[in-house]
Amino acid sequence: MKGKRVLIINRGEIAIRVAKALNELGLVSVGVWTDNETEPPHLEYCQEWVHLVGNNNKETYLNIPKIMDLIEKYKIDGVHPGYGFLSENREFSEALAKKGITFIGPNPTAVYKMGAKDISKQVAKEAGVPVVPGSTGEVDTIEEAIKIGNEIGFPVLLKAVAGGGGKGMRPCMNEEDVKNNFAAVQREALSGFGYAGLLVEKYILNPHHIEVQILADKKGNVYHVFERECSVQRRHQKIIEEAPSPFIGTDEVLRNSICEAAVKCARAVNYDSAGTVEFIMGEDKKFYFLEMNTRIQVEHPITEEITGVDLVANMIKSAFGEPLDFKSQDDIKILGHAIELRICAEDPISMLPAPGKIVGFETTFPQGIRFDHCIYPKFTITPDFDPMIGKLIAKGFNREVALRKVRNAAEGLIIDGIKTNIALHKVILNEENFIKGNYSTNYIGTIKPQEKVAVKEDIKAFMLKVAAIELNQMGGQV
Amino acid sequence: MRYYFINQEMKEFSLDVEFHQNKTMEFKYEGKKTTLFLKSVAGKNYFSFDGIGWKKLAALGVNEVLVSHSEMYKVYRGFKPSGLNKGAAGALVTQMPGKVVKLMKKEGDTVTKGETVLILEAMKMENEIKAGADGIIKAINVKEGQALDSGFLMVEIEE
Repeated sequence: MKGKRVLIINRGEIAIRVAKALNELGLVSVGVWTDNETEPPHLEYCQEWVHLVGNNNKETYLNIPKIMDLIEKYKIDGVHPGYGFLSENREFSEALAKKGITFIGPNPTAVYKMGAKDISKQVAKEAGVPVVPGSTGEVDTIEEAIKIGNEIGFPVLLKAVAGGGGKGMRPCMNEEDVKNNFAAVQREALSGFGYAGLLVEKYILNPHHIEVQILADKKGNVYHVFERECSVQRRHQKIIEEAPSPFIGTDEVLRNSICEAAVKCARAVNYDSAGTVEFIMGEDKKFYFLEMNTRIQVEHPITEEITGVDLVANMIKSAFGEPLDFKSQDDIKILGHAIELRICAEDPISMLPAPGKIVGFETTFPQGIRFDHCIYPKFTITPDFDPMIGKLIAKGFNREVALRKVRNAAEGLIIDGIKTNIALHKVILNEENFIKGNYSTNYIGTIKPQEKVAVKEDIKAFMLKVAAIELNQMGGQV
Repeated sequence: MRYYFINQEMKEFSLDVEFHQNKTMEFKYEGKKTTLFLKSVAGKNYFSFDGIGWKKLAALGVNEVLVSHSEMYKVYRGFKPSGLNKGAAGALVTQMPGKVVKLMKKEGDTVTKGETVLILEAMKMENEIKAGADGIIKAINVKEGQALDSGFLMVEIEE
């Protein structure tokens, strides 16, 4: 495996995370830059830099023929897709397989079976794992979606077959909502994932989003690396994740049964990489298979923090047929608790993206903090990419300690020049329901922590802005 | 030196500052004086309002915009620009850079307040841009697929 040349076909913090693992394992990390992001900070960690020509994602990170050309030109042995973009694209993994290039991810058949949500549900059902009721295949028309809605009962969720990360899905309370949202979800699916197919499924009230990390090798060994609770969400996108789940708590029987269910799903598709099986858990602690993400996920660090398993490094080792860092399921244990805050360039109250230019960035963190990010002063956040710019992760002896640390870390994270959701995180971390661990995916919608974000800024903030400008006039130092 | 802060609603205020050789800044706001202490330590800048408790001063940019929580102010050093006029409720202006996905209305159409006029995609999210007033669409300055900067006047509605 040593010396193999691996192309990272991604950007932002995940490109940095992957490059770190490649370098540590003795592989050659090859990073890309594009015409709409000429100075990406991930290049700092990449040994070789390649120009991926193009001004938008369709021309660059989503352009399979162009990427295949680069692979040939730069004699690439393997590709790490990160998350998003082509990470779960069957065409891409098949194109690589045909050329004998190692895809650092699961085999194309597993991507195919788990990537298409209609097939994955069938696979889970056959493996004996319960699934959420819904359409058995793609739904092509509004009329068909309404018919299924009436069969399984409203509310229903319209979601993109190829979607993920909460993009391309909308809940519909009634027939009228289906009529209004159907075309928009199709468009989001097409522009975000290159495929417009939609599914309809039952919308469970006050659910918990709990997912299980899977790590498997090419020899048929499938392990779970315990669960993550990802129920703090806005617009079906996670903003805070923690591991282990406070909702499962000390119920080891439940923990074991959800982790075993995930292993069953992974085995059913001969899974051979890092992946995540997502479940939805109702208030009655009954859980249903939602989907399997056949990629490394944004929130993987909290699992790494509580188990000590380096998921990205093991994913790479697995792809090249190397043995994993551990030998049995019993080697993997939970020690402590971890909480992750997704730091996004967005308005903390409306939670809408707010691009702009970062003019200042400083950190003062307590012991036990990990900050995976792509932030630097003068970094311009454009609408071309996801607004998530960093992940603040705290690990503690238990949940209370992790909470204490992450609260202090949020106070010590200063990003100037753009709106960020740090102010919202600070409210949530001090909110009674979150502190107790009593929250479902409706947390943001019902508790509304965003309404407690202070709207008015103290005059002192304006004085500091003036001080910064004056200081800059003087050359940056007093 | 006088600084002017003007927000999106054209609400404005000013702040006077004087820099002293002993590394302090003297601010005057609404007749009240405030002293800000500054110090550079190990390549980083720190500030203090009492000379005892210190915090990092993050921003070092000449960014002329002050963003805080939900407000955004343009900052002007030493002068106040002329020609800033208040935007009407019927003027739909982009709040962030984005791309026009779909026009729901055409010029001459009658709209009611809250009705969706167009769909703007920003950061992979579709946002419905709604009419801010009842009226007739006087001008649509954008086309489907067009990429827009922040502050672009997309649609004008005659009330």
